[in-house]
Amino acid sequence: MPTDPHLLFGYTGPLAMLGWLALALSPLAPRAADLAAALVIPALLSVAYTALILVHWSDAPGGFDSLSNVMALFTEPSVALAGWAHYLAFDLFVGAWITRTARAEAIPHLLILPCLVLTFLFGPAGFLAFFILRASLTLRARMTGATA
Amino acid sequence: MTLSLATPAAPFPDLRRLWTDAPALTTLTVVLILALIPLYGAMALDARVFQGDSPWLKPIKFHYALAIYAGSLAFFARYMPTGTRAGRPWRWFTASVVFAILAECVWLSGAAMLNTASHFNTDIPFLTAVYQVMGAFAVLLTSASLVMGISIWRNRDGALSPALRQGVALGLILTFALTIPVAGYLSASDGHFVGDSTRQMWLMGWSRDAGDLRVAHFLATHALHFVPLAALLAARLFPAQALRLVWLSAAVFAALVIGTFAQALQGRPFLPFIG
Repeated sequence: MPTDPHLLFGYTGPLAMLGWLALALSPLAPRAADLAAALVIPALLSVAYTALILVHWSDAPGGFDSLSNVMALFTEPSVALAGWAHYLAFDLFVGAWITRTARAEAIPHLLILPCLVLTFLFGPAGFLAFFILRASLTLRARMTGATA
Repeated sequence: MTLSLATPAAPFPDLRRLWTDAPALTTLTVVLILALIPLYGAMALDARVFQGDSPWLKPIKFHYALAIYAGSLAFFARYMPTGTRAGRPWRWFTASVVFAILAECVWLSGAAMLNTASHFNTDIPFLTAVYQVMGAFAVLLTSASLVMGISIWRNRDGALSPALRQGVALGLILTFALTIPVAGYLSASDGHFVGDSTRQMWLMGWSRDAGDLRVAHFLATHALHFVPLAALLAARLFPAQALRLVWLSAAVFAALVIGTFAQALQGRPFLPFIG
Protein backbone atom coordinates (compact mmCIF):
# COMPACT_ATOMS: atom_id res chain seq x y z
CA MET A 1 0.00 0.00 0.00
CA PRO A 2 1.92 3.07 -1.16
CA THR A 3 1.13 6.08 1.01
CA ASP A 4 1.08 9.58 -0.38
CA PRO A 5 3.98 11.47 1.29
CA HIS A 6 2.03 14.72 0.98
CA LEU A 7 -0.75 13.20 3.07
CA LEU A 8 1.70 11.87 5.70
CA PHE A 9 3.34 15.29 5.85
CA GLY A 10 0.00 16.73 7.00
CA TYR A 11 0.11 14.53 10.12
CA THR A 12 3.69 15.32 11.14
CA GLY A 13 3.17 19.05 11.77
CA PRO A 14 0.26 18.79 14.25
CA LEU A 15 2.01 15.89 15.99
CA ALA A 16 5.16 17.95 16.58
CA MET A 17 3.08 20.99 17.57
CA LEU A 18 1.45 18.91 20.28
CA GLY A 19 4.88 18.16 21.72
CA TRP A 20 5.93 21.83 21.63
CA LEU A 21 2.69 22.86 23.27
CA ALA A 22 3.37 20.33 26.02
CA LEU A 23 6.83 21.83 26.55
CA ALA A 24 5.50 25.40 26.62
CA LEU A 25 3.00 24.39 29.30
CA SER A 26 5.37 21.98 31.02
CA PRO A 27 5.39 23.75 34.44
CA LEU A 28 1.76 22.59 34.78
CA ALA A 29 2.60 18.93 34.16
CA PRO A 30 6.35 18.37 33.92
CA ARG A 31 6.28 14.58 33.77
CA ALA A 32 3.53 14.37 31.15
CA ALA A 33 5.29 16.99 29.03
CA ASP A 34 8.56 15.12 29.27
CA LEU A 35 6.88 11.85 28.35
CA ALA A 36 5.23 13.42 25.29
CA ALA A 37 8.09 15.59 24.04
CA ALA A 38 11.10 13.48 24.94
CA LEU A 39 9.68 10.03 24.26
CA VAL A 40 6.31 9.40 22.63
CA ILE A 41 6.27 11.99 19.86
CA PRO A 42 9.96 11.74 18.88
CA ALA A 43 9.54 7.95 18.87
CA LEU A 44 6.51 8.14 16.57
CA LEU A 45 8.35 10.49 14.23
CA SER A 46 11.42 8.22 14.34
CA VAL A 47 9.30 5.22 13.40
CA ALA A 48 7.96 7.17 10.44
CA TYR A 49 11.50 8.21 9.51
CA THR A 50 12.91 4.70 9.74
CA ALA A 51 10.06 3.18 7.74
CA LEU A 52 10.41 5.83 5.03
CA ILE A 53 14.15 5.28 4.79
CA LEU A 54 13.79 1.48 4.73
CA VAL A 55 11.42 1.74 1.80
CA HIS A 56 12.79 4.64 -0.21
CA TRP A 57 16.52 4.81 0.45
CA SER A 58 17.51 2.17 -2.10
CA ASP A 59 16.07 3.98 -5.12
CA ALA A 60 16.64 7.54 -3.90
CA PRO A 61 18.75 9.83 -6.08
CA GLY A 62 21.85 11.61 -4.81
CA GLY A 63 23.86 10.88 -1.66
CA PHE A 64 25.77 12.48 1.23
CA ASP A 65 29.07 13.13 -0.54
CA SER A 66 28.38 16.57 -2.03
CA LEU A 67 25.94 19.38 -1.50
CA SER A 68 24.47 18.78 -4.97
CA ASN A 69 23.87 15.14 -4.08
CA VAL A 70 22.23 16.04 -0.77
CA MET A 71 20.01 18.46 -2.69
CA ALA A 72 19.21 15.72 -5.22
CA LEU A 73 18.25 13.43 -2.32
CA PHE A 74 15.65 15.92 -1.21
CA THR A 75 14.02 16.05 -4.65
CA GLU A 76 12.44 12.67 -3.86
CA PRO A 77 9.24 13.47 -1.87
CA SER A 78 9.41 10.42 0.41
CA VAL A 79 13.05 11.06 1.31
CA ALA A 80 12.35 14.77 1.85
CA LEU A 81 9.49 13.76 4.15
CA ALA A 82 11.88 11.50 6.07
CA GLY A 83 14.27 14.43 6.39
CA TRP A 84 11.42 16.60 7.66
CA ALA A 85 10.45 13.96 10.24
CA HIS A 86 14.11 13.87 11.29
CA TYR A 87 14.08 17.66 11.90
CA LEU A 88 10.81 17.53 13.82
CA ALA A 89 11.81 14.57 15.98
CA PHE A 90 15.27 15.84 16.92
CA ASP A 91 14.26 19.49 17.39
CA LEU A 92 11.50 18.40 19.75
CA PHE A 93 13.90 16.11 21.61
CA VAL A 94 16.32 19.01 22.02
CA GLY A 95 13.43 21.19 23.19
CA ALA A 96 12.58 18.56 25.80
CA TRP A 97 16.22 18.43 26.87
CA ILE A 98 16.28 22.22 27.23
CA THR A 99 13.12 22.11 29.35
CA ARG A 100 14.44 19.29 31.53
CA THR A 101 17.85 20.92 31.98
CA ALA A 102 16.28 24.25 32.85
CA ARG A 103 14.08 22.60 35.47
CA ALA A 104 17.02 20.72 36.97
CA GLU A 105 19.10 23.92 37.14
CA ALA A 106 16.23 26.12 38.35
CA ILE A 107 16.31 28.34 35.27
CA PRO A 108 12.95 30.16 35.14
CA HIS A 109 10.59 28.78 32.52
CA LEU A 110 9.86 32.30 31.27
CA LEU A 111 13.51 32.65 30.22
CA ILE A 112 13.58 29.44 28.21
CA LEU A 113 10.32 30.12 26.35
CA PRO A 114 12.10 32.26 23.71
CA CYS A 115 14.74 29.50 23.37
CA LEU A 116 11.96 26.95 22.81
CA VAL A 117 10.30 29.13 20.18
CA LEU A 118 13.66 29.49 18.41
CA THR A 119 14.34 25.74 18.62
CA PHE A 120 10.88 25.04 17.22
CA LEU A 121 11.41 27.39 14.27
CA PHE A 122 15.16 27.27 13.70
CA GLY A 123 16.45 24.25 15.69
CA PRO A 124 20.15 24.97 16.24
CA ALA A 125 19.59 28.71 16.76
CA GLY A 126 17.40 27.93 19.78
CA PHE A 127 19.91 25.38 21.04
CA LEU A 128 22.58 28.09 20.80
CA ALA A 129 20.33 30.63 22.54
CA PHE A 130 19.86 28.22 25.44
CA PHE A 131 23.61 27.57 25.62
CA ILE A 132 24.23 31.32 25.81
CA LEU A 133 21.62 31.76 28.53
CA ARG A 134 22.96 28.77 30.45
CA ALA A 135 26.57 29.92 30.08
CA SER A 136 25.74 33.28 31.63
CA LEU A 137 23.95 31.60 34.54
CA THR A 138 26.84 29.18 35.00
CA LEU A 139 29.19 32.15 35.09
CA ARG A 140 27.03 33.66 37.82
CA ALA A 141 27.14 30.43 39.79
CA ARG A 142 30.93 30.27 39.42
CA MET A 143 31.46 33.88 40.45
CA THR A 144 29.10 33.96 43.39
CA GLY A 145 29.40 30.37 44.55
CA ALA A 146 25.62 30.12 44.40
CA THR A 147 23.76 27.50 42.44
CA ALA A 148 22.04 28.84 39.35
CA MET B 1 51.25 52.99 37.47
CA THR B 2 50.43 56.49 38.50
CA LEU B 3 46.94 55.96 39.78
CA SER B 4 46.30 52.81 41.77
CA LEU B 5 42.76 51.92 42.64
CA ALA B 6 43.89 49.03 44.80
CA THR B 7 44.65 50.95 47.98
CA PRO B 8 43.32 49.77 51.32
CA ALA B 9 41.05 52.81 51.51
CA ALA B 10 39.44 52.02 48.18
CA PRO B 11 39.84 48.38 47.21
CA PHE B 12 39.10 47.47 43.62
CA PRO B 13 35.34 46.96 43.39
CA ASP B 14 34.29 43.34 43.77
CA LEU B 15 32.94 42.30 40.38
CA ARG B 16 31.20 39.26 41.83
CA ARG B 17 28.70 41.67 43.34
CA LEU B 18 27.35 42.35 39.83
CA TRP B 19 25.48 39.07 40.04
CA THR B 20 23.86 39.73 43.39
CA ASP B 21 23.22 43.47 43.00
CA ALA B 22 21.76 43.27 39.50
CA PRO B 23 21.28 39.64 38.42
CA ALA B 24 19.03 40.42 35.45
CA LEU B 25 21.23 43.19 34.02
CA THR B 26 24.39 41.15 34.52
CA THR B 27 22.93 38.06 32.86
CA LEU B 28 21.76 40.29 30.01
CA THR B 29 25.27 41.71 29.61
CA VAL B 30 26.80 38.25 29.22
CA VAL B 31 24.02 37.12 26.88
CA LEU B 32 24.48 40.19 24.65
CA ILE B 33 28.21 39.56 24.41
CA LEU B 34 27.90 35.83 23.69
CA ALA B 35 25.23 36.54 21.06
CA LEU B 36 27.91 38.45 19.16
CA ILE B 37 29.37 35.08 18.09
CA PRO B 38 26.51 34.15 15.70
CA LEU B 39 26.24 37.81 14.63
CA TYR B 40 29.88 37.86 13.55
CA GLY B 41 29.23 34.53 11.81
CA ALA B 42 26.38 36.13 9.89
CA MET B 43 28.57 39.10 8.99
CA ALA B 44 31.28 36.74 7.67
CA LEU B 45 28.78 34.87 5.48
CA ASP B 46 26.64 37.76 4.27
CA ALA B 47 27.77 39.27 0.98
CA ARG B 48 24.96 41.83 0.98
CA VAL B 49 25.67 45.51 1.52
CA PHE B 50 23.41 47.95 3.30
CA GLN B 51 24.24 51.65 3.02
CA GLY B 52 27.87 50.83 2.29
CA ASP B 53 28.44 48.34 5.11
CA SER B 54 27.48 44.82 6.08
CA PRO B 55 23.87 44.81 7.33
CA TRP B 56 25.18 43.08 10.47
CA LEU B 57 27.45 45.94 11.50
CA LYS B 58 24.60 47.81 13.15
CA PRO B 59 23.24 44.99 15.35
CA ILE B 60 26.84 44.19 16.31
CA LYS B 61 27.49 47.82 17.33
CA PHE B 62 24.27 47.88 19.35
CA HIS B 63 25.14 44.61 21.10
CA TYR B 64 28.40 46.15 22.27
CA ALA B 65 26.74 49.43 23.23
CA LEU B 66 23.85 47.81 25.10
CA ALA B 67 26.16 45.31 26.81
CA ILE B 68 28.30 48.19 28.05
CA TYR B 69 25.19 50.08 29.16
CA ALA B 70 23.61 47.10 30.96
CA GLY B 71 26.96 46.13 32.50
CA SER B 72 27.52 49.70 33.73
CA LEU B 73 24.07 49.85 35.29
CA ALA B 74 24.71 46.47 36.92
CA PHE B 75 27.92 47.87 38.37
CA PHE B 76 26.41 51.12 39.66
CA ALA B 77 23.51 49.20 41.23
CA ARG B 78 25.72 48.56 44.27
CA TYR B 79 25.55 52.26 45.16
CA MET B 80 21.77 52.27 45.39
CA PRO B 81 20.17 51.93 48.83
CA THR B 82 19.97 48.21 49.61
CA GLY B 83 16.25 48.38 50.26
CA THR B 84 15.53 49.97 46.88
CA ARG B 85 17.71 47.51 45.05
CA ALA B 86 16.12 44.48 46.66
CA GLY B 87 12.58 45.88 46.41
CA ARG B 88 9.91 44.63 44.10
CA PRO B 89 9.34 47.90 42.14
CA TRP B 90 12.99 48.12 41.15
CA ARG B 91 13.16 44.44 40.21
CA TRP B 92 10.10 44.72 37.98
CA PHE B 93 11.39 47.92 36.46
CA THR B 94 14.73 46.22 35.71
CA ALA B 95 12.92 43.26 34.17
CA SER B 96 11.04 45.61 31.83
CA VAL B 97 14.31 47.34 30.89
CA VAL B 98 15.91 43.97 30.12
CA PHE B 99 12.91 43.08 27.97
CA ALA B 100 13.15 46.41 26.13
CA ILE B 101 16.86 45.88 25.43
CA LEU B 102 16.27 42.35 24.12
CA ALA B 103 13.40 43.61 21.95
CA GLU B 104 15.69 46.27 20.45
CA CYS B 105 18.26 43.58 19.62
CA VAL B 106 15.70 41.29 17.99
CA TRP B 107 14.41 44.23 15.98
CA LEU B 108 17.90 45.27 14.81
CA SER B 109 18.89 41.74 13.81
CA GLY B 110 15.51 41.22 12.14
CA ALA B 111 16.09 44.31 10.00
CA ALA B 112 19.60 43.02 9.18
CA MET B 113 18.13 39.66 8.10
CA LEU B 114 15.85 41.55 5.70
CA ASN B 115 18.75 43.81 4.69
CA THR B 116 16.57 46.81 5.39
CA ALA B 117 16.63 49.80 7.74
CA SER B 118 15.72 49.38 11.39
CA HIS B 119 15.62 53.05 12.35
CA PHE B 120 14.03 55.37 9.78
CA ASN B 121 12.34 52.51 7.93
CA THR B 122 9.60 53.88 5.67
CA ASP B 123 9.67 51.09 3.06
CA ILE B 124 7.96 48.36 5.05
CA PRO B 125 4.77 49.48 6.86
CA PHE B 126 5.21 46.87 9.59
CA LEU B 127 8.73 48.10 10.38
CA THR B 128 7.57 51.71 10.31
CA ALA B 129 5.08 50.78 13.03
CA VAL B 130 7.66 48.77 14.97
CA TYR B 131 10.03 51.76 14.85
CA GLN B 132 7.51 53.74 16.95
CA VAL B 133 7.33 50.98 19.56
CA MET B 134 11.12 50.71 19.63
CA GLY B 135 11.32 54.45 20.26
CA ALA B 136 9.21 53.97 23.37
CA PHE B 137 11.39 51.02 24.42
CA ALA B 138 14.49 53.15 23.91
CA VAL B 139 13.08 55.79 26.28
CA LEU B 140 12.25 53.04 28.78
CA LEU B 141 15.73 51.54 28.72
CA THR B 142 17.37 54.96 28.98
CA SER B 143 15.14 55.89 31.92
CA ALA B 144 16.91 53.16 33.92
CA SER B 145 19.90 55.50 34.25
CA LEU B 146 17.67 58.33 35.52
CA VAL B 147 15.94 56.17 38.11
CA MET B 148 19.24 54.72 39.27
CA GLY B 149 20.87 58.17 39.32
CA ILE B 150 18.15 59.64 41.53
CA SER B 151 18.27 56.63 43.80
CA ILE B 152 22.04 56.98 44.27
CA TRP B 153 21.72 60.77 44.68
CA ARG B 154 19.43 60.22 47.63
CA ASN B 155 21.43 57.38 49.12
CA ARG B 156 22.90 58.37 52.47
CA ASP B 157 24.49 55.06 53.50
CA GLY B 158 28.00 56.49 53.19
CA ALA B 159 29.40 53.71 51.04
CA LEU B 160 30.75 56.36 48.68
CA SER B 161 32.34 59.69 49.50
CA PRO B 162 30.00 62.61 48.73
CA ALA B 163 32.00 63.60 45.64
CA LEU B 164 32.00 60.10 44.18
CA ARG B 165 28.35 59.57 44.97
CA GLN B 166 27.50 62.87 43.32
CA GLY B 167 29.64 61.96 40.31
CA VAL B 168 27.96 58.61 39.80
CA ALA B 169 24.49 60.06 40.32
CA LEU B 170 25.12 63.08 38.07
CA GLY B 171 26.62 60.93 35.33
CA LEU B 172 23.62 58.60 35.34
CA ILE B 173 21.10 61.44 35.39
CA LEU B 174 23.00 63.28 32.63
CA THR B 175 22.96 60.17 30.45
CA PHE B 176 19.17 60.33 30.52
CA ALA B 177 18.85 64.12 30.38
CA LEU B 178 21.24 64.48 27.42
CA THR B 179 20.40 61.32 25.50
CA ILE B 180 16.64 61.82 25.41
CA PRO B 181 16.65 65.21 23.59
CA VAL B 182 19.54 64.29 21.28
CA ALA B 183 18.21 60.82 20.40
CA GLY B 184 14.66 62.17 20.28
CA TYR B 185 15.67 64.79 17.71
CA LEU B 186 17.71 62.17 15.86
CA SER B 187 14.79 59.77 15.63
CA ALA B 188 12.46 62.52 14.41
CA SER B 189 14.89 63.40 11.60
CA ASP B 190 15.12 61.61 8.25
CA GLY B 191 18.49 60.07 9.06
CA HIS B 192 21.58 60.59 11.20
CA PHE B 193 23.50 62.69 8.66
CA VAL B 194 23.06 66.42 8.13
CA GLY B 195 24.26 66.93 4.57
CA ASP B 196 25.76 64.34 2.24
CA SER B 197 28.31 62.06 3.84
CA THR B 198 30.89 60.39 1.63
CA ARG B 199 33.71 59.57 4.05
CA GLN B 200 33.62 58.05 7.50
CA MET B 201 35.83 57.81 10.55
CA TRP B 202 37.62 54.57 11.35
CA LEU B 203 35.85 52.34 13.89
CA MET B 204 33.09 54.74 14.90
CA GLY B 205 31.90 55.32 11.33
CA TRP B 206 31.04 58.95 11.95
CA SER B 207 30.92 61.21 8.90
CA ARG B 208 34.03 63.17 8.02
CA ASP B 209 32.36 65.57 5.63
CA ALA B 210 28.81 66.04 6.92
CA GLY B 211 27.08 66.62 10.22
CA ASP B 212 26.54 63.38 12.16
CA LEU B 213 23.98 63.42 14.96
CA ARG B 214 25.28 60.12 16.31
CA VAL B 215 28.32 61.86 17.81
CA ALA B 216 26.27 63.76 20.37
CA HIS B 217 24.14 60.66 21.01
CA PHE B 218 27.28 58.61 21.68
CA LEU B 219 28.78 61.19 24.03
CA ALA B 220 25.47 61.81 25.83
CA THR B 221 25.11 58.10 26.55
CA HIS B 222 28.61 57.94 28.01
CA ALA B 223 28.00 60.65 30.60
CA LEU B 224 27.55 57.77 33.05
CA HIS B 225 31.20 56.84 32.45
CA PHE B 226 32.78 60.25 32.03
CA VAL B 227 31.43 62.05 35.11
CA PRO B 228 32.08 59.19 37.59
CA LEU B 229 35.63 58.79 36.22
CA ALA B 230 36.18 62.55 36.55
CA ALA B 231 34.88 62.27 40.12
CA LEU B 232 37.28 59.41 40.82
CA LEU B 233 40.21 61.44 39.51
CA ALA B 234 39.12 64.57 41.38
CA ALA B 235 38.74 62.64 44.64
CA ARG B 236 42.28 61.28 44.25
CA LEU B 237 44.06 64.38 43.04
CA PHE B 238 42.14 67.27 44.60
CA PRO B 239 40.12 65.81 47.49
CA ALA B 240 39.31 69.21 48.98
CA GLN B 241 37.81 70.49 45.74
CA ALA B 242 36.33 67.19 44.60
CA LEU B 243 32.65 68.03 44.89
CA ARG B 244 33.07 71.28 42.99
CA LEU B 245 35.12 69.54 40.28
CA VAL B 246 32.39 66.93 39.87
CA TRP B 247 29.87 69.64 39.10
CA LEU B 248 32.36 71.33 36.81
CA SER B 249 33.07 68.13 34.87
CA ALA B 250 29.34 67.48 34.53
CA ALA B 251 28.88 70.99 33.15
CA VAL B 252 31.83 70.63 30.76
CA PHE B 253 30.55 67.31 29.54
CA ALA B 254 27.05 68.66 28.99
CA ALA B 255 28.57 71.55 27.05
CA LEU B 256 30.54 69.07 24.93
CA VAL B 257 27.36 67.18 24.07
CA ILE B 258 25.48 70.37 23.26
CA GLY B 259 28.45 71.59 21.22
CA THR B 260 28.72 68.43 19.12
CA PHE B 261 24.95 68.43 18.70
CA ALA B 262 25.00 72.04 17.42
CA GLN B 263 27.98 71.21 15.20
CA ALA B 264 26.10 68.31 13.59
CA LEU B 265 22.98 70.42 13.15
CA GLN B 266 25.08 72.91 11.19
CA GLY B 267 26.18 70.05 8.92
CA ARG B 268 29.77 70.15 10.13
CA PRO B 269 31.74 66.95 10.80
CA PHE B 270 33.04 66.18 14.29
CA LEU B 271 36.71 65.26 13.79
CA PRO B 272 37.21 65.37 10.00
CA PHE B 273 40.97 64.89 10.25
CA ILE B 274 40.68 61.42 11.85
CA GLY B 275 40.52 58.81 9.10
